Amino acid sequence: MSPDVPILEVQNITRRFSGLVAVNNVSFAVRTGEIFGLIGPNGAGKTTLFNVITGLTPPSSGQLRYGQTSLNQLRPHQIARLGVARTFQNLRLFGNLSVLENVAIARHLHIHTGLVQSIVGTRAAKTEERQTALKALEILELVGLASKAEQTARNLAYGDQRRLELARALALQPQLLLLDEPAAGMNPNEKGALSQLIHQIRDRFDLTVILIEHHVPLVMGLCDRIAVLDFGQLIALGKPEAVRHDPAVIAAYLGGE
Amino acid sequence: MDITLFLQQFLNGLSIGSVYAIFAVGYTLVFSILGIINFAHGAVFTLGAYFTYFLSGGAVGTNGLLANLALPFQFSFAIALLLGSILSGLSAIAIERLAFRPLRLKGADPLLTLVSSLGAALVIVNVLQYLVGAEIYTFSEGIYGDLPASINLGTAERPIMIRTVQIIIFGVSAVMVGILTYGIGFTRMGKALQAVAEDATTASLLGIDPERFITLTFFVSGFLGGMAGALVGSSVSIASGPYFGIAYGLKGLGVIVLGGLGNIPGAIVGGMVIGLAEAFVPTDFSGYKDAIAFAILFVMLLVRPQGLLGRSRIQKV
Amino acid sequence: MGNFLDSYGFLIVSTFWGALLGLSVYLPLMAGQLSLASPGFYALGGYIAAILSTQVLPHSGETYPFGFVLLEMGVAGLVSAVLAVILGIPVLRLRGIYLAIATIAFVEILRVLALNLEITGGAIGIFSIPQPFRSPVGYLWIALPLLVLTMVLLYRLEQSHTGRVFRAIREDELAADTMGIDPTYYKVLSFTLGAILAGMVGAVSAHFFNTWNAKQGTFDNSIIYLAFVLSGGSRTFVGPVVGGMVLTALPEVLRTIANIGGIPLWLGGFLQAMRLIIFGLLIVLGSMFYPQGIVTPELLNRLKLAFRKQPKRIST
Repeated sequence: MSPDVPILEVQNITRRFSGLVAVNNVSFAVRTGEIFGLIGPNGAGKTTLFNVITGLTPPSSGQLRYGQTSLNQLRPHQIARLGVARTFQNLRLFGNLSVLENVAIARHLHIHTGLVQSIVGTRAAKTEERQTALKALEILELVGLASKAEQTARNLAYGDQRRLELARALALQPQLLLLDEPAAGMNPNEKGALSQLIHQIRDRFDLTVILIEHHVPLVMGLCDRIAVLDFGQLIALGKPEAVRHDPAVIAAYLGGE
Repeated sequence: MDITLFLQQFLNGLSIGSVYAIFAVGYTLVFSILGIINFAHGAVFTLGAYFTYFLSGGAVGTNGLLANLALPFQFSFAIALLLGSILSGLSAIAIERLAFRPLRLKGADPLLTLVSSLGAALVIVNVLQYLVGAEIYTFSEGIYGDLPASINLGTAERPIMIRTVQIIIFGVSAVMVGILTYGIGFTRMGKALQAVAEDATTASLLGIDPERFITLTFFVSGFLGGMAGALVGSSVSIASGPYFGIAYGLKGLGVIVLGGLGNIPGAIVGGMVIGLAEAFVPTDFSGYKDAIAFAILFVMLLVRPQGLLGRSRIQKV
Repeated sequence: MGNFLDSYGFLIVSTFWGALLGLSVYLPLMAGQLSLASPGFYALGGYIAAILSTQVLPHSGETYPFGFVLLEMGVAGLVSAVLAVILGIPVLRLRGIYLAIATIAFVEILRVLALNLEITGGAIGIFSIPQPFRSPVGYLWIALPLLVLTMVLLYRLEQSHTGRVFRAIREDELAADTMGIDPTYYKVLSFTLGAILAGMVGAVSAHFFNTWNAKQGTFDNSIIYLAFVLSGGSRTFVGPVVGGMVLTALPEVLRTIANIGGIPLWLGGFLQAMRLIIFGLLIVLGSMFYPQGIVTPELLNRLKLAFRKQPKRIST
């Protein structure tokens, strides 16, 4: 795919919650292969937009297109099947499952043995289960959690839980990866490492990444382009340098916080 | 159907429907605040019937631990009904303290609280059975004082005979609905209650203590549930003993799903609809009357799970 | 031994049914779904067996052919499966408490039907259901293999990807959805597996109890089966098996204690009446203090360690 082809098109998306407009007529296109930042003050509608894109919240109006496919009527698992994966700002791990199992779950789309086969224990089922575990370990290795594979997810330290969220999303082998504040709660060292990791992941897996982040230096250093939301509206869109000096953005940040 | 019969059935439907309504409002109040179904509500219905029965002078039957016990005095039905309902409200608070609050403070899964309320219902019903036996209790004949057993609302040639008790049931329920509508819509407490129902965190930011309102809600809920039980009990006797309320508790689910879970006007409308629907079941199919509420419940889940008057709930992610 | 089996055969087989019914509630719970439908499918299976054996399947001789019982169980399982899918698909699209409510309605509708239809014998029910065995203990020929088989299958299920998906949905349905898992499909699957099991147990129970009526499928039973699971533990299949067996045997044990000489009459009566009170208390206290039940995966792992075996997760 040529880099200028949009992988995701957001067209006039609006989402209302009983009177409140969380996302207001937002349009932008994300190009294949870029790291796209989504920033804005608290309550600007960033997470709601993620929820709309991943099918958790249907849009009130507007169009969502992933390549040639409309996402509007699709449910979350159908969108995941198309190659869209996400993490959650407020961590939604399967807390009572092991770290390895959390990642193995996310291999769902790549597992083809059915219930009967795996209960009978056919050779194919066993091979696939082994491959799933290997693949999951490989991804855990990448985010630095391989040594904690057998731990219960909810017992992990906060930063590790964030990394596990990321590993789980990667295990889907997506083309488009949505990261909702992946660095929240991390110290500066961890943030730097994460920034590198995201770059590395993008290059290694040919991903397109959309990233919500509060930490401005991280966003500026990492993203190819940035969109700024304020009170549900898109107020700026462009290269980090341009956005940084945009008067509307400065006003939103100074006025909002 | 001739007009007399129609009117009679219609008034029957109104009467039983209004009891369903106040019973279901009790159900739905708790749901609107806590987001869970209190399965012990049916047991409170039973308690209300027994309380009122004893307070109005009835004696315990020959089975059970408290055999032949009776009060040395007796209250008039109106007083007994009021006291019985208050006792039911207090019972509901006790249930809340024992079966709901500990789980809430732990932040437990709402499903677990639902399960706990099922357990509480089972305990209440069986302790009652142990205490007063499984007999059918019938309120004494003269319970309504000098009122005639039935009143003719038609003419002498075309009588429309309505049992007095049904008029009483309808009247009492209508008054309760009126008081509730006023209380919730127009008093400070009522508005606070709505705020807690809307969002417990916002409410506590506004300086409202949610725990206090949860207690109040359970009292009102139990009061209404117990009163419904007493009214039905005085009309058709406490049939099926301590299990009396279970059937109503289950049917009540149909009522609140029809109106929309947590929706108070919905519960009233739902109660009237199901009461009327039951009243117009042809005699040949009267055996299926008890299935109507559940059939309606199914249809609602299929076509409109948020209920007739309910809004779809916003899922927070 | 023979004596023991003769006097306690009925109780022993009953505890097996208890374990199996507990498992039928446990299956949907694996995927986080609280279903109260087990008594409905159990009653349905029983009616299917009772009608087939008294009116449809021809037999002569003293004992009813064993194969026919298996056939009835198959039919009951199949009918339950179809009904569960029809019921499950619309209801399980919804999250939260709707399944609990809908399954209560389902049980009640079946009960009203059973009370009113001619084919189910109305309020009296169906009696003189033919016996495949000479004594209750003979039913172990069905109960034991059925329980062992179900437990083996559940063990394998819990180890499989499907079992993992069930647990993921139980933990966080929305997150699982964004991982490409269709929650409705897996919720209906777990619900249907539980229904099949309850239907099959109902079919053989109709023979076991000799008569079958609308009392088999009541709301009470819904709560009792739930108590089996909650007291035993709802995170491994061993929990409901232990819970189902112990709680089924409990009334008999209480009765035995009540009949011991020297116990005051009121205490004897109380112990007899206690069964449901105890179940109810177990449910309330269990949800508060042992939300995981008595038998938890951690406990099993510790036991395994004690037997010098390593706990087994995904092999790497």
